[in-house]
Parts: sequence; structure tokens; C-alpha cells
Amino acid sequence: MADVVLQGVSKAYAGRPTVHAVDLTVADKEFMVLVGPSGCGKSTTLRMIAGLEDITSGRLLIDGADVTHAQPQKRDIAMVFQSYALYPHMTAYRNMAFGLLKTTRLGKVEVDRRIREAAEILHISHLLERRPNELSGGERQRVAIGRALVRQPKVFLFDEPLSNLDAKLRSRMRGELKRLHSELGLTVIYVTHDQIEAMTLGSRVAILSEGRLQQVGAPMELYMRPANTFVATFIGTPEMSLLRCAVKPEGEGSLVQHERFSATLPMRAGHADAFLGVRPEEVRVSRPGEGLTRGIVERTELIGAEALAEILIGTDRVVARMPVPEAPDSGAEVSVFFDLARARLFDAATGRALPAA
Amino acid sequence: MTSLRTEIASRPAIVALRRGWLHVVLVPLALLWLSPLVWILVTSLKARTEVFDPAAGFWPQVLRWENYPAALSVAPFGTYLVNSILVTGGILAAQLVTITLAAYAFARLTFPGKNLLFTLFLLQIMFPIYATFLTNFVTVRELGLLNSLPAMIVPFVASGYGTFMLRQAFRQVPTELADAARLDGCGHVGILWHVYLPLVKPTLIAFGIITVVTHWNDYMWPLLVTNSEAVRTLPIGLGLLAKSDSGADWTRLMAATVVVVSPLLVLFVVFQRRFVDSFMHAGLK
Repeated sequence: MADVVLQGVSKAYAGRPTVHAVDLTVADKEFMVLVGPSGCGKSTTLRMIAGLEDITSGRLLIDGADVTHAQPQKRDIAMVFQSYALYPHMTAYRNMAFGLLKTTRLGKVEVDRRIREAAEILHISHLLERRPNELSGGERQRVAIGRALVRQPKVFLFDEPLSNLDAKLRSRMRGELKRLHSELGLTVIYVTHDQIEAMTLGSRVAILSEGRLQQVGAPMELYMRPANTFVATFIGTPEMSLLRCAVKPEGEGSLVQHERFSATLPMRAGHADAFLGVRPEEVRVSRPGEGLTRGIVERTELIGAEALAEILIGTDRVVARMPVPEAPDSGAEVSVFFDLARARLFDAATGRALPAA
Repeated sequence: MTSLRTEIASRPAIVALRRGWLHVVLVPLALLWLSPLVWILVTSLKARTEVFDPAAGFWPQVLRWENYPAALSVAPFGTYLVNSILVTGGILAAQLVTITLAAYAFARLTFPGKNLLFTLFLLQIMFPIYATFLTNFVTVRELGLLNSLPAMIVPFVASGYGTFMLRQAFRQVPTELADAARLDGCGHVGILWHVYLPLVKPTLIAFGIITVVTHWNDYMWPLLVTNSEAVRTLPIGLGLLAKSDSGADWTRLMAATVVVVSPLLVLFVVFQRRFVDSFMHAGLK
């Protein structure tokens, strides 16, 4: 196992840049998730690491060796594809053996041992003689993972491997992947557009948008301290509410002035036009007359264990999360509190978090 | 009440018709298609006088098997058969190599002039083969190949039609499979051999059948470029029989025809199962 270092890695198709100078270090035995909306360049980045796409500029190091222009099979990586990409004309066993026989000089006995071992780990020993079209989606996925496992590569690359599975199976495979990662000590780079997958699987998460790296960090760090409004609204469901306000220094903290209220935040941010960012669980709602400000409940959604209320404060909308019995009726006027100790500010012009970290 | 009864009564008939309508259409068509073959076979066993005598009936009075050795003694059909196999086999083998490589390039690679080149390949399909006979003849003569087996093979080693067919089939193969093969250590040839070719087997077999039938039966070109018995093919042998001094000897001609087409028929029967199987398999994927 080994670390992966991307130094200013860029990709341009016919002169049009799609990935801009990504700097990223994936540590040994780390589970790094690349996440972002479709078209953000995450798959392209992964394919550049795999060697399936040329790197337009920048350097790629795997285990200290420069593999920027190396052939895929020379990089000591294995990849699991979204569509599994199992060879339809080969049995599961041959699918797993094929790459091993092609890229290594291992004997038949060793190849067989590795396949049986991987099959054991993935619970697919009884499926080895079947062809892909005789396997269910989940079983194909396991065979595809097995094909990567037997290679014992330095780095595992996953390209949205769970997106073709149904919700229940997906959550089971998530647990399975997590288990494999910790039990076998794998270095994994995992691409997904699903933030739940990113949050639950990643030891660290890298968020991409429009070909640029937005933020890299532990899942909860991204959730609590997003670097900009894109990360703030991309991570978390429902997304963080942003309220337009003016900020100026006041004593040790900052005075935040919204069109309907003003409040003091315990951080210095300087003068700026800004957004105040609050997560749904940081908004509290009570009877009129008490809170920081007032709002009109536009919509209430009961989603089982909890309720979500969309509240109009001036011209801004804020989503609040609360237990179902406390859910206000639509159209009601309510008082609103914010957990200001956790609230964040973003520069209205650049979208970056204030104060700049 | 009456209408209800008739409805019930006619129901099994409707069901039978529904299930069998395909057969109702196909059986007569199959018979129609089969009839020339049956006529050839029957005629090959008749006496000469019976062939065009309406009074003699459809079936021969006596089965005259001696028509076969008689027909085969007219010309060295053994040599013709070997030549036909060499020519058809040579063309097929060469075509499979060239169309596979060309189709892969057109389906999966990017290179300057690709579209123009592909258009030229398509044009080749649209030109009637006779339009290129003269230039091909001149080329073959320049190469000094006239009156030899290669003269019948060389002009057909590439096929625009085959390239087109295979390119379409290759494009159906998911690119992720090729990516997976690259990670598994395959170069272009490896990807082609281990991934693409096994997956387009039905197309290859279909093309193989088409090309074998075409060149096995080809008459014009071999006639143009050969003039000695040693290099002639079966269809030319048939032509010789048809032009015998005494006018066409139909019984012997038909006997020889049976001999000439039977390898094709055997081939088709052998591969038919395979052919249908591969298509069924492809459909299940």
C-alpha cells in the first residue's frame, strides 16, 4: 500500500480545461472520497490517476514514483467501474484471473489461491463458475471488487461503484466496503456524487466543482466548517440556509446585520457583504414574541422521525429541523433562534468562508 | 346465445391461428425457396430425355446416379474443389484480419482523417463490384499474378462492407470493458483479442457466411483472371458443362451443381445452430 500525490494535475479536452490544477495527497491506507455534482471532473481525475486519460499538465506520484505518463498496468492500481465492466464471455473466476495472469508472473496455484481467498472475503465462492449474466447486480459488484482485490494493488480506485444498486443493497455494500477497507488496510480513492456515501465512507473527502478542488477534509470538518458556499450547500440535506447580511467588527466579535435582525457573532470578520450560514438543526422555532427574529412558515414537511419547516425571514428562506410534535402549521408566524456559536459567515462576493482561514 | 356459442366454438381455431400464423406464412415461403433446390436434385437423377418431357412427370423413372461420375469426368472437379476452398478460405482469412484491425481503428481510435477515410470505405460498399473490375485487372496483371490463385484472392483481401459491419458491432461494446482490459494489462491487440472479438462473434460468423457464399459462387472475376484448368474454381467448371458442344447437358449440369453447392449447404447446416445460438446469447445480455 502507498500514498498518492497529485501535483497541479490538469486536464483539457481540445484546449478546453475540465480539471484545473488539482493538488491532493492521499495518505497510505486512507479512504479518500472525491465528491461533487455531475460534470465536476471527479471521474476524469480518477481516470487520470488510473492512466485511462492523459494528464495534460501536472505530476502524479504513486508511492513516491512519478507515474504521470506510465501505462495503466504499470501503476499498480486496480479499478472498480460503475457498470462493473466484467467480461461477459468469461466466468467470475476467469474475470478475476485475467488481469493477474496478464500483469504478473504468478503461477496457476498462486492465482487460484488468491482468487479463492478474495472469494471467501466477499462471500462469492459459490459464484465463481458463473458468467456475469447469471449474477445479480450485487453479486456482479462483488466479483468486480474481487477482481481488484486479487491484484493486491497499491491503490484501489472506485468509480461510483454503488450507483447501479438499489437503495437497500447500496447501504449494505457501503458497510461491506468500509469493512474491507479497515480489515485489509487498503488505500482507496472513491468517486461518487452521493454525499451520504462520501460522508459515511471517507476518512477524508475532497469536494470538486467545475474542475476545481473546493475543500479537502474529514467529513464532519466539511460539514461544520465548509470553506465556501458551494461546500456549505453541497454537503448536508436539506442544505444550509444562507441569509444575506452586512458584517462589521464589534468588540471581540462581529456585528451581523440582516434586513430583519442583527446579532453578534463570536468571531472577527472585518467589514463585508456576507451570507450567514445556518444548518437546519441550528434553527429553533418557538411561539411569536421570544426569538431573535420572526418569520412566516411557508411549508412544513413531516418526514417520519422529524419535521422540516421552511420559514420566510424578510426575503430569505431558512429551513429548520425539529421533532414532529413541535412542527408549526403552514402560514403561522413564529419566532426564530439561531445557534450563533455554530453559525458561519461567507463573503458575498467570493463565497469564501469568513474570516479567511 | 347463438353468437356466444359460435364465439366459443371458434375460439380454439382463433387460438391455433394466433399461435400458428407465423407457420401459415413461413411454410409456403420455405417450400417456395426450397423448390429450385429440389428441382436441381431431382433433375440430377433423371435421364436426359426426361428433363423437358411433360409426360415423364416430376420424378425420374429410374434414379440415374451415373450422372454424377459422368458430370465429374467432364472436367477435373477435384482440382476445382481444392482451388475453390483455397480461394474462398484465403479471402475469408485475409478479410477477417483486415476488417478486424480497420474496424477497431474506426470504432475506438482517434486519428486525423478518420472520417474522410471511413467515408471512402463506405463508398467502396456503394460501388458495384463490376465498376472496379478493369482497374483491378490491370493491377493484378502489373503484379504478375494473372492466371494464378492469388489473382482471385488479392482484390478481395479488404472489405468495406465487413469493416462497416464490424465497426458497428465494436461500437456496441461498452468502453468500460476496454478500460478494464487496459488496467488488466492489455494493449490494443490484447483488448481486441480478449474483449472485442469474443463479444462480436455473431457478427463475425454472419460476415463469414456472407463472404464465403459470395466468393464460393463468384464466377465473373475468376473467369476474367484465369485461363488454365489448374487454377479454375468450381463455378467455372459448371460453366464449362453448361457450354458443352452439344448444348447444355442438364442432368450432368445439375449433378455437378449439387456437388458444388453441397459444401455450402453442409457449412450452413453446421453453423446455423451456432449462428442462432450466438444471436440468442447476445439478446440475453
